[in-house]
Amino acid sequence: MVSIDVENLGLVYTLRSKPSLALKGRRALLSSDRIRRDGRKRQVLALEGVSFSLQAGDRLGIVGSNGAGKTTLLKVLYGVYPPRSGTIHVSGRVDALFNINLGFRPEATGRRNIELRGLINGWTAAEIGGRMDDIVAFSELGEFIDMPFKSYSTGMAARLAFAVATTLEPEILLMDEWIGAGDPSFQEKARARMDALAEKAGIIVLASHNHSLLRRTCNKILHLESGRIAAFYDKISEFEME
Amino acid sequence: MNSSFRDAFWDISKSLSMWRVWLALAHEDIGDQHKRTTLGPIWLLINYLIYVGTFLFLFHKGSDTSIYAAHSSIGLLVYFYIMETLQQSVQLFVREEAFIKGTKLPLPVYVMRLAVQSLIRNAYALLGCLFILILSGIDFTCMSAYAIIGIALIILTTPAAITVFAFLGAYFPDSQYIVTNLLRVGMFMTPIFWVRDTASGIRSAFYWYNPFTYFIEIIRVPVIASDMPWYSFLLCCMMCLGLWTLALTLFARLRKEVVFVL
Repeated sequence: MVSIDVENLGLVYTLRSKPSLALKGRRALLSSDRIRRDGRKRQVLALEGVSFSLQAGDRLGIVGSNGAGKTTLLKVLYGVYPPRSGTIHVSGRVDALFNINLGFRPEATGRRNIELRGLINGWTAAEIGGRMDDIVAFSELGEFIDMPFKSYSTGMAARLAFAVATTLEPEILLMDEWIGAGDPSFQEKARARMDALAEKAGIIVLASHNHSLLRRTCNKILHLESGRIAAFYDKISEFEME
Repeated sequence: MNSSFRDAFWDISKSLSMWRVWLALAHEDIGDQHKRTTLGPIWLLINYLIYVGTFLFLFHKGSDTSIYAAHSSIGLLVYFYIMETLQQSVQLFVREEAFIKGTKLPLPVYVMRLAVQSLIRNAYALLGCLFILILSGIDFTCMSAYAIIGIALIILTTPAAITVFAFLGAYFPDSQYIVTNLLRVGMFMTPIFWVRDTASGIRSAFYWYNPFTYFIEIIRVPVIASDMPWYSFLLCCMMCLGLWTLALTLFARLRKEVVFVL
């Protein structure tokens, strides 16, 4: 059963102090309630006391100001950052879209990039071959698929990234503020595919500043501020009233 | 065995099973580095031959040119391999920051990608070295085959050295400049163009207390002297073992933490 259970999640990491010619007084301005000084070390409070549960079919939107911890939370869910406290249980095959260009090689063609991304995602050669036509069709790149990736516009890159990430139908898809890329027709197409994914008992977690997009896409909203939960809306209607 | 070592071995085993990924990425890296050139990676061979030719012209004194050419070409081959690999290693995790923070690829995948890339690049230089050895009239005997064991030992040591230097570069950014400068200076402190017999004073110390000397000797002595330098081989085995122990310890302790220092 696909699910995400997060209980009292905390993440604090140590920031290395780099050699600086700045005056001590000016450097001290960098401290805040989320940065604790311990001698020469600075401890950054990235997440604290975050708890929520998602079940199959849930589409969670994460909102919050810049630096609230949205991306950090996604990366903890993905397994990139190890949590310092609390527990996380993620059941299901997870894929993530954090950065459109990540993993794409500028000099390689779109087709070669699909092969490389497939390998990185752990696909077999047969899976890559079997999904190639679907990815090319969904990305609408046409003959550009055999052109170098560096010649693609941001929208074309986004279409290719989204097509690769969703073609193998991950059970859990994590996305970070990127779906605004691409033209409106692609956004509509991407939303339809996300709906289809969620209907197939998947979970989608999407961090974004675009509240109207989240209202259209998600059924739950997590509001983060300063690494802590400011509000959790179990129904999207509650968020719409805000 | 504690859990961090068990998890580390699990990551290593998973990375080895992802051999298609690191082979494909290494292949792409080589292609990208020479994308706009007409001769492509053949430049690696040309660079090597130009280096050996220049140094032979500048440093060779005496009559036995063929032995000196063989001596220098093997020394340069091994030293270039070590220098290039270590210089790349110390920047490895910093260079791969976006990947490390954006994917779940285990760190040994990056290590193996660099190891394969170094091997491919230096395979071109190896061709040049074999060409010089044949031209110099070196007699290949059964004992020369011991050089293959030497090459295998260097290849076996490579992933461990990459891991150690990659962590060093991630935690101490200045180390990339220190390592680069030491390796540049080390080229003249290592018996690449000079021989032990002519070494005296401080140069003699450079010969005996220099780890690179022994990695060169385990390939050079079997080819040129048709002999197996057991002392050098033993020292290289010990260095290999030491580097692997250090690499595994660093990997077990820091593999989850390195993401926070990039």
